[in-house]
Amino acid sequence: MKNQTKSRLSRRNFLLAVGAGGAATAAAIATQAINPATAQPATNNDKRRGRGYQETAHVRSYYNTAKV
Amino acid sequence: MARMKFLCDAERCIECNGCVTACKQENEVPWGVNRRRVVTINDGIVGAEKSISVACMHCSDAPCMAVCPVDCFYRTDEGVVLHDKDLCIGCGYCFYACPFGAPQFPQAGAFGLRGKMDKCTFCAGGPEKDLSKEEFAKYGSNRLAQGKLPACAEMCSTKALLGGDGDVIADIYRERVLKRGKGSEVWGWGTAYGKPDQKAAPAGAKS
Repeated sequence: MKNQTKSRLSRRNFLLAVGAGGAATAAAIATQAINPATAQPATNNDKRRGRGYQETAHVRSYYNTAKV
Repeated sequence: MARMKFLCDAERCIECNGCVTACKQENEVPWGVNRRRVVTINDGIVGAEKSISVACMHCSDAPCMAVCPVDCFYRTDEGVVLHDKDLCIGCGYCFYACPFGAPQFPQAGAFGLRGKMDKCTFCAGGPEKDLSKEEFAKYGSNRLAQGKLPACAEMCSTKALLGGDGDVIADIYRERVLKRGKGSEVWGWGTAYGKPDQKAAPAGAKS
């Protein structure tokens, strides 16, 4: 009888330990998942801004060759 | 602000496919994906054969943007239609909507599984940081940020394919049309209005 009680308790301890470990792992995964999201290089407004077109000497030279 | 546009002069295009090659080389486009193609009509018929180079036309009211279920498309201030591959689900709706067949889908696995959509970016990269490795890997070269224009237009040997500020290339094209000494030869003009030389009104016809 005494043995039975002891084994039940140890099983509970084991399940508790597994539960705590699982929660810790989930927290670690969640933190990792959040980090890339915060490291996103562009917001929606950034995306929609111009891509940097300028009438550089290179571009003017292209327009001149197209006029031939 | 300048509005980016492509314009292909059908009178000058010699179907060399130089633009297609330039695009593939510049952007390291994967096998099975062609961001640009040369389309020829009346192939082999002397005098009637015309070719144009086609890619994404960066429409002002883009149908791909309208149908995308995850809203992954966006238009920049310069009128370039781009998309976010992190959001794209590869459903293919944009391919059905596009009248030019611009959206392309790389094979992502066996059984015809589709990957993320890929299309012409006007050599303007994507939403990632300008000129970053990630941007190049997903979208190809960002020549606009380098102060250049799309590789296809710059490499065109006959300068049939014009790309850049819409106002400037429209002026260049207008000059060409005037210099040729004929009526309008915009692609599709003959289909819509008949050939200019056949349209001459008969003598004595009342207006």
